[in-house]
Amino acid sequence: MKTKLMVSAIALASFGATNVWADTVRIAEHRQARIDALNAVVPMIEEQTGIDIEVIEYPGPDKEYISKLLTELRAGTGPDVFSLPSSGEIVDFSTAGYLVDVTAEVKGSDAWDNMFPIARELAETDGVIYTMPTMLAMQQFYFRNDVLTEAGVSTDQPADWDALINRAIEAKEKTGEYSLLMPMGVTWGGGTYIESFRLLLANSSTPELVTENGTFNLTSDGVREVFEFYQKMIEAEVVPVDPLLGPDPWVIPKYEMFPAGELLMTTCGSWCYIFDWGPESKNPIPDIENAVGTWKVPNVNGDAPSVLVNLNHPWMVSSSAVDIEASKKVLAAMGSIELMTSYAQKSGNLPSRADAIESDGFQQLTALVPLLDQLEDGRSVATAPGFSTVMEGIGRGSEALLLGNADAAGAQQILVDYVSNILGEDMVE
Amino acid sequence: MLVLPSAILLFAFVLYPSGVAIYTSMTNLSLTGPAALNPRFIGFDNYTKLFSDHTFWRSLVITFWFVLFSAIIGQLVLGLLSAILLKRQFALRPFFNAIILMPNAVPGVVAALMWSSMLASGEYGTLNKIVAWFGVDPQRWLVTFPLSMIIVVNIWRGIGFAMILMNSGLSAISEELYEAARMDGATTWQAFRKITLPLLVPTIFLYLLVSTVTTIAIFALIYALTRGGPAGATEIVGIYIYNQSFGSYQLGYGSAIAVVLLIFSLIIGTFYVRALKVEV
Repeated sequence: MKTKLMVSAIALASFGATNVWADTVRIAEHRQARIDALNAVVPMIEEQTGIDIEVIEYPGPDKEYISKLLTELRAGTGPDVFSLPSSGEIVDFSTAGYLVDVTAEVKGSDAWDNMFPIARELAETDGVIYTMPTMLAMQQFYFRNDVLTEAGVSTDQPADWDALINRAIEAKEKTGEYSLLMPMGVTWGGGTYIESFRLLLANSSTPELVTENGTFNLTSDGVREVFEFYQKMIEAEVVPVDPLLGPDPWVIPKYEMFPAGELLMTTCGSWCYIFDWGPESKNPIPDIENAVGTWKVPNVNGDAPSVLVNLNHPWMVSSSAVDIEASKKVLAAMGSIELMTSYAQKSGNLPSRADAIESDGFQQLTALVPLLDQLEDGRSVATAPGFSTVMEGIGRGSEALLLGNADAAGAQQILVDYVSNILGEDMVE
Repeated sequence: MLVLPSAILLFAFVLYPSGVAIYTSMTNLSLTGPAALNPRFIGFDNYTKLFSDHTFWRSLVITFWFVLFSAIIGQLVLGLLSAILLKRQFALRPFFNAIILMPNAVPGVVAALMWSSMLASGEYGTLNKIVAWFGVDPQRWLVTFPLSMIIVVNIWRGIGFAMILMNSGLSAISEELYEAARMDGATTWQAFRKITLPLLVPTIFLYLLVSTVTTIAIFALIYALTRGGPAGATEIVGIYIYNQSFGSYQLGYGSAIAVVLLIFSLIIGTFYVRALKVEV
């Protein structure tokens, strides 16, 4: 009797362990706006694929989201399908063996043929694709057109970095308000690089961080120029330093000061027109399309300015997915126009499919439609394994600047020392 | 057979994880990149790196000051004073009792969020509103005095536990001893110094053992308040382990720090256990 009971228990346990989720694909999503966007299209994906989908809510801040995801993936218990905040993290996940090669599925989907060239370029690494790009994040400078115009400050595109900082100083003198924000410090997480450092670096004298042999050129002129620009901002007191040192540094400047006209220029992405200050915001700016304007990121030497483009939360399949084939099928279905429109409506990013912009849903987002013209000027910065460490080092270097503990050269040295210490000196040029 | 369940639990939740941590500390295991897929055994390389890592030594020094001022001095002294005060009968005794014990009922993260609002920079911070009544300009409490602030918060959190323990120690001291001292003409201070304090020594050491080890391991309160910043000013060793393991994704190196911390905790624990055998 005892033996029978034990055999039954073991059989039940093994059945449960292998098949409990076999008919369901679990998708990880975080932040309410993104969860709402996904939930809106889940029934359509289920109908299209015949596979049940369970949406699992993860922590909101990107840093906590990635930590939880990594812990679970390492333990082999992660979600079947998940996304990463930007293209920058993909290489660290793929080389760790967490991702499934989905080249055939993505290239075989309707989405691939209709994607903007930059989306295809960012998705493919050495001929291999690990992600289904669905949204593009386009970043540049956003400014309070209404406040600057009223104060008599020019709203023309700044020609170079000097023109930008001088514009910020003039705006502060005329309005008395903080005039320029760029994410800095450790607590902003990956945003310090993705929404700030990268924009300037791509428009510096040496716009790349990764060398041909996969090491990091952190002693370059470009890196120094970016830290010097940060130092000028801090010395000119145009940037609100205090909020950047707090645990949630984006809340006060982005969600309170900018809508109130107490901050006049900031780097941001297309999502700011919808999520941060637009219809999905808790603190919307009235008549946002006229009140807030955009500048491309100027070049340090006055060359052509550009916007920065990267994949925003591209979707991928976990190598420990319970049913990899079902997950791939779901991933292919996630390249739909409906999903991209849903995310554009809720979070404000741009669809990676050119044909998605013709949809009625997207055409209603009148603040986003004009931004698509700038995609052709879009640039990106290449990454390599170990890039997460570089991003953390940039956070530490810029935090030392904020605290007045280092000048630009000191901040660059902090970055070099941090990355050398973690990845080894042979990884740093 | 009687100790088998305990032995199994001890093995599953203490010995086995410790063994895994020790092994991991001798690899280059990472959460991302090629070292996550194929970690290599690297012997004592992580320990060699650790002993020349000035950030690690800085975090140990910060941990020392944090434990000394918050657990050993702040909580103990205030806990003892509270216990002595609340031993007396007075009108608002239950009220004070509740005030002192309440912080223990609040989860660490909730307490941190509450203090985050209290210590916020600018004119909106609660503490800044209070000091403004006295004509003091708004301060950046968590930027200018980060370590002092987390020490204050941790003292606030821990007084209740210290008070309960000290209260139990005080209750065990016979009233007859005080009565005899009074008859011999001892003052209140002399009675405290010659009777209360010596007889409380075992309780004090027990408290110090528990509070030192738990304070070294504090994480949620500091992470939610400062994340170890600004510029590492509040990066106690527990936060440093987290930052190395889940910020830089270096699990092998993070494990090496954890193993060294385990050794430190064992040394401190052994010292206190020996001290607990003190004859009064």
